[in-house]
Amino acid sequence: MSRWTAALRLVGVGFFIGSSIVLGVVAGLWLDSRLNTSPALAIAGLLLGIVVAFYGVYRMLIPLLKNRKNGEGD
Amino acid sequence: MAKRRVLGMPRPLLAGVLFFIVFLLVVGFLVGPLGKNMFGDLGLPAWLSLPHPEFQLPAETAFHLFGFPVANSIIGAWITMAVLICLSYVITRRMKIIPGRLQSAFELLLGWLYDLCRRVAGEENGRRFFPVVATIFLFVAFNAWLSLIPGFGSILVAGAEGEPVHLLRGANTDINMPLALALVSFVFVEYFGLKSLGLRYLGKFFNAGQFFQSLGHMVRGRLRAGLGGLFTGFIHIFVGLLEALSEMVRIVSFTFRLFGNMTAGEILLLIAAFLIPWVFALPFYGLELLVGFVQALIFSGLTLVFLTLAVAHHGEESA
Repeated sequence: MSRWTAALRLVGVGFFIGSSIVLGVVAGLWLDSRLNTSPALAIAGLLLGIVVAFYGVYRMLIPLLKNRKNGEGD
Repeated sequence: MAKRRVLGMPRPLLAGVLFFIVFLLVVGFLVGPLGKNMFGDLGLPAWLSLPHPEFQLPAETAFHLFGFPVANSIIGAWITMAVLICLSYVITRRMKIIPGRLQSAFELLLGWLYDLCRRVAGEENGRRFFPVVATIFLFVAFNAWLSLIPGFGSILVAGAEGEPVHLLRGANTDINMPLALALVSFVFVEYFGLKSLGLRYLGKFFNAGQFFQSLGHMVRGRLRAGLGGLFTGFIHIFVGLLEALSEMVRIVSFTFRLFGNMTAGEILLLIAAFLIPWVFALPFYGLELLVGFVQALIFSGLTLVFLTLAVAHHGEESA
């Protein structure tokens, strides 16, 4: 894995976390206002957003972690 | 006696230019709102300072064409396209073995991008992805740089109700353009994923095989194996769902990264020019040139990384 791949992956992480959480909350709030279930779905959206954020970041960083373990981190 | 030159200028001229810049800075500080607050109104002429800037977040409609509203940001996008098309025509019309200045600049840029593609995605995939990645890069970068040309945002025309409307606006500062680019990137990622992996690509999102297999185990009476497999199968389905969701989130994060950075840059320039008019905004112009380049690199580079991820088989994603 080249240095560039690593750098580009890391660049994407920050906004990914932010967007997934915000998207979850906004979708939850919108559904709440449609279905009158406030605040249950907003909280569910928040939790789902956090889970997606963690999972996505984990997926993006697996190769980096693997490289580090094998001692071939470039 | 040879005159000593600094920055290609004779020393007295350089001193004069520096003095002029400092002079403009001081005058700008005194007439701007910052200086007015500190020293009071010194009675300097009003044309020296700028009116309070107003930034419209949604793009304004410049005029109507065949009944369709034409936003000022799409005019910016058209100009970017025209510039790119003209440039590529001029450069490739007479390609020389020993390139001129313009040709070598573009050869340098595209060669570097091509190397990046090959290094990230590998030899063969890099060649396939290069057109998408380079197009996104060139469009985003030129769009950002185009809107930095002085006077770009200061042309006013009469809008629908006669109010003054900006004729031009960087397309990246209208959220529709980053969204469209993000969708293009998304579509290409899915297209290349489906093309190279076939239906197996969709298995990443709908991974219910183990779930039904263990349901089968349960039906045939092997309860113990079934229950354990059922749980794993359920997790597989959930992970597939997360995978699909994170694909959606990617679009949003692409959109807001580009939109936010470009819009913030525009506002930063406006505010800098308003607070201390004239030369103070100059360093920020340099900063925005860099930001335009970096955002273009990030947008195209992340597209490249996700393309590489999409065509990789399971378990060999380190590419």
